[in-house]
Amino acid sequence: MPLGDFGAAIGIALTYFTIIYLTGLGGLFSERSGIVNIGLEGMMIVGTVTGSCGTAELTPELGLPWGPLAGILIGAAAGAIFASIHALATVTFKVDQIVSGVVINLVAIGVARFLSTIAFGQATQSDSGQPRMDPIDIPLLSSLPWGLGKAFDGISPMVIVAFLMVIPVWYSLYRTRWGLRLRSCGENPDAARSLGVRVSPYRYEAVLLSGALAGMAGAFLAVEVNLSWNEGQTQGLGFIALAALILSNWNPIRLMGAAFIFGFAQAIPLRLAHAPIIGAIPPEFIRMTPYVVTIVVLAGFVGKVRPPAAAGRAYEGSTGI
Amino acid sequence: MATVEATTVRDTHRPEWVENIGGQLLALLTALGIAVLLGSVIVIAYGENPLVVYSAILSGSFGDANGLGYVLANAGPLIFSALAVSVCFKGGMFNIGVEGQFIVGMASASFAALTFTFLPAPLLVLSVLVFGVLGGMVWAAVPAILKVKTGAHEVVTTIMMNGIAASLVAWVIRGPLRYEDIGGGFNVNLRTDPFPDAAMIPDLGHFFGIASSARLSWVLPMAIVAAAVVWFIMRRMRLGYEARAVGASPGSARAAGISIGAVQVKLFLLSGALAGLVGIQQLFADQGFLPAGYEAGIGFTGIAVAFLGQNSPVGIVFAALLWGVLARGETSLQLETDVPREFIIILQGLLIMSVVVTYQVAKRRLFSRQLRRAAEVEDLHDAEASVDIEEAGEPGSSREVDR
Amino acid sequence: MASNDAGARRESASPLVVMEGVSKRFPGVLANDEVTIDLRKGEVHALIGENGAGKSTLMRVLYGLYPPDGGTIRVKGEVVKIASPRDAIALGIGMVHQHFVLVDPFTVAENVILGDEDGPILNTETAQRQVAQLAEAYGFEIDPAAAVEDLSVGEEQRVEILKALFRGVDILILDEPTAVLTPAETKELFENLRKLRGDGKTIVFISHKLDEVLAIADRITVLRRGAVVGETTPAETSKAKLAEMMVGRPVLFRLDKPQVEVGETVLRLDDLRGGRLQGLSLEVRAGEIVGVAGVEGNGQKELADSIMGLRPLEGGEVSLDGHDLRAMSTQEIRNSGVAFVPEDRHDQGLVLDMTIWENTVIGRHDDADYSSRRGVLFIKKMKELAVRLIAQFDVRTRSIESTARTLSGGNQQKLILARELETDPKLLLAAQPTRGLDVGAIEFVWSQILEQKAEGRAVLLISAELDEIYALSDRIVTLYEGRITGEYPPDAPADEVGRGMLGGKTPAEAR
Repeated sequence: MPLGDFGAAIGIALTYFTIIYLTGLGGLFSERSGIVNIGLEGMMIVGTVTGSCGTAELTPELGLPWGPLAGILIGAAAGAIFASIHALATVTFKVDQIVSGVVINLVAIGVARFLSTIAFGQATQSDSGQPRMDPIDIPLLSSLPWGLGKAFDGISPMVIVAFLMVIPVWYSLYRTRWGLRLRSCGENPDAARSLGVRVSPYRYEAVLLSGALAGMAGAFLAVEVNLSWNEGQTQGLGFIALAALILSNWNPIRLMGAAFIFGFAQAIPLRLAHAPIIGAIPPEFIRMTPYVVTIVVLAGFVGKVRPPAAAGRAYEGSTGI
Repeated sequence: MATVEATTVRDTHRPEWVENIGGQLLALLTALGIAVLLGSVIVIAYGENPLVVYSAILSGSFGDANGLGYVLANAGPLIFSALAVSVCFKGGMFNIGVEGQFIVGMASASFAALTFTFLPAPLLVLSVLVFGVLGGMVWAAVPAILKVKTGAHEVVTTIMMNGIAASLVAWVIRGPLRYEDIGGGFNVNLRTDPFPDAAMIPDLGHFFGIASSARLSWVLPMAIVAAAVVWFIMRRMRLGYEARAVGASPGSARAAGISIGAVQVKLFLLSGALAGLVGIQQLFADQGFLPAGYEAGIGFTGIAVAFLGQNSPVGIVFAALLWGVLARGETSLQLETDVPREFIIILQGLLIMSVVVTYQVAKRRLFSRQLRRAAEVEDLHDAEASVDIEEAGEPGSSREVDR
Repeated sequence: MASNDAGARRESASPLVVMEGVSKRFPGVLANDEVTIDLRKGEVHALIGENGAGKSTLMRVLYGLYPPDGGTIRVKGEVVKIASPRDAIALGIGMVHQHFVLVDPFTVAENVILGDEDGPILNTETAQRQVAQLAEAYGFEIDPAAAVEDLSVGEEQRVEILKALFRGVDILILDEPTAVLTPAETKELFENLRKLRGDGKTIVFISHKLDEVLAIADRITVLRRGAVVGETTPAETSKAKLAEMMVGRPVLFRLDKPQVEVGETVLRLDDLRGGRLQGLSLEVRAGEIVGVAGVEGNGQKELADSIMGLRPLEGGEVSLDGHDLRAMSTQEIRNSGVAFVPEDRHDQGLVLDMTIWENTVIGRHDDADYSSRRGVLFIKKMKELAVRLIAQFDVRTRSIESTARTLSGGNQQKLILARELETDPKLLLAAQPTRGLDVGAIEFVWSQILEQKAEGRAVLLISAELDEIYALSDRIVTLYEGRITGEYPPDAPADEVGRGMLGGKTPAEAR
């Protein structure tokens, strides 16, 4: 059936969705607290190398299913540690958030090579064929007819984790004291401060969380998708996550949709290269769609997005109220 | 108020920039010190001697003429890239799209090199440069116009334009400009035809006894001239003056009759033009063709160099050289020590981070000192507005209680 | 408790808060000079004084925003140290700032409970119910589920007051609360304040508007130049007496207005519409000063921006000497002879981070005198201009290479005047030209404005300070809700002009 390719494309899209969504959620926390994070790509890169390294080192000790899981958790932890540089620079020293993000991306490449040299003895890749988690078939969905079931066959448990992530994220942001305060820091830190909410700790927490999520996404890419670490494997997905975040208007539920659409755009050249109509478009043009869509949305041609009001501005203190 | 006295303007011509530059140098040295210190911690943790490591890094550049030639050759692209960033930054804008602008510029320069082959060498080189500039300008025009017309923030649009540029250039290399001799399909050697020799920038190094392998070309003098031109524009021309006003206070600039949109578009075009020349050294003085996956990251490195040089053209030239010295140190580091060469990138990161942090701190201190001095000049009169203390009266001794 | 026995209660109550000998110094300024003041339970205590008299500073000290440099604060008899707003709130002291600090996309309830939530998990319904009950208890009309960004200014102020009440404060400091309100909203605010007083709350009302103070206050403390100059009650005083205490000399003093023959119409505004402007028409002739009086927020900024071409108009005509200004860019408008002293020196007047010489020439930098046709600047000439102008206008600075930021407010304003008047304009447009300046600087600015009239230029003065309007104007017009509601001679009684400022209603009607 012709839909088989389509099913496979959805399967790939789910993989990309996982990467883009987790990273985008990272950006969501950070920007909702008032810290613009264009260093997501760099945090992902650190997640890839540390995740791969953790898997390689820990698998023999923990056994097959736990090694990759440990790798992913290590990737998340490393992402958070790396993100603390961004937090220190932007929150404590009030360095321009864009500058810090750019530096994060630059440094990440060096850190990744440095760690890779130590862990794998070579700078730009690990040994291939590392273990991954046991893939799972989603009941019911994987038996969909016309080849559509392929999309839900043998997928990584992390894909499901990413899907479920929306629940705690949404709940914590909109239904807890922590989320209310975090968002107030991103919208009007003066208001937060004047009510006794200390802005810096929330921004620190958000940036670290951001690094953890981006790191986790990177580790997923290295451990579960590529089964190895390679330099450049993030392919700018951190920036696509940023684009998805903007398209979602900084909303975790809408971010799911944006991440899936952009993930699907990534999958088209890989699985639908010979499909009618779509196949006639050069794959490069399909790959650029997320960026084009984001520009169109930003320019206000379609809908209107509204970033957190205080994102990008250092918080100077309360005496100026 | 007192009448005008000569004393109030007596030191009108004592330039404050002298102490500003002194302060900047101090801040830079402090930042360097912090970076070197933090780097040493990593080196020691790695079980090596920092002194050995740092001298190995320096020997890469200053050990022989070729090392220096390499540093100088690589400074050119960095200078162009950082100048491109700085021009926008002076106008209060952040051009993160230098990367995209430069690869589009290189695609169009490659097109010129492969198309106008009938031209004699000087004209062909000129057309390569012009097309590079035009490509960069076209790519920079998009975010500029979007910003002015729709208010779309340039940081995000330029990031997106980078993504589009990467795909576009990949398509150009796979399609219109594909190297015909290698056969079709996806090929790891995917690239354009080789450029004719007449399109290449002549070597400069042999005048100074530097081997041609260092690739020191006329791009470096071009970059230094570009820095001088940018300095002149920003400091001696209307555009620069208006740009600085727009960057520092858009509202006041507008009320003074400056067209903010026009200034922003002009700056972005200037930035794009400079960005369009970033890749000349690598393609037209070294490789001789446009390879696939041409994302060298120089556009982003330019941001770091621009900040290292505090967005001043002179500072940028020196920052680019310093950056080059560090980059050159990678090789010698590997040869002479056990520290992985990637330590250099981390050191560069530490340097740029400590520079931005130190300048941030220094700026605040300078600012409060200026205010204090102003208060002294004021004879302790009403210094309130500068610090935005909404309610601050002047000191008074009259205290007639009305009762 | 009935509110009409406030006077009796005042006598018996012991002070709730005593600030004794409190001093606060900023770089170069003694903002509070050993101020002693007491606040009693269940009173509306007005704190009045001119701009810069130190009233907000004093209350910011009490609210923990500024550490005092001397003096003691006692709350309910205990000496306390208030290091942050948190401490202040714990002591039952709340403050509503002139500029509201609200989270726009949040609901009213979320804004109120922020920082004082009842547990780690939010309960939206409970929060909204609590806020609704609180609002009801004080008779405030507000929808707790509404997003703050959809509220009017008056409603936003109610949210700010609710924030303080939610934290159980006994003392509520309101900093210039009526500055941003329409007369109708002011009326509602006063009703709400009376309810709060009836409930035993103490209200500190910072203002420089004497009519309002006389209408709402139980007790009035007057500050001048950082020091208390007197304490009184509405019954014991009058507007004139208060004004004299504030300024330190009999007010409505007249400067010597130069006698100038009024000439042709220079500026003609006809039926301006757009934003807050709803059909504004006005003429200014050569050799006269027209003063636009009005409560802020009635279209003053829009008026100035429209003349300068900084804001698009939906309709109407603006002409200068018969030339249509609407068709011109800001630059062309300036070149055709309009000098502009904006109401916000920092946002529209100066580029604070550029040097003084760069600021003295901005707006004229493309004159043939200061740059070539190709765009090369004549820096030497620019600096010569700066040296000449700062001497002529007595701008006190260390060097023309210093940034404009290092100047005091008064000197910044002098720099702007120097720059704008150097162009030999036909019209001077001065918006709130003495805002935030000390008395010395005010006199300088006033004399410069009168000087322009003497030179036969047209002057349009927009000011929220009635005294300033009276001191300078040859004709007074009142601006209310984007329209000119009346025209008065310079010797018209203040209450008549005040009526025009409220759209033709008497203050009593407006209240």
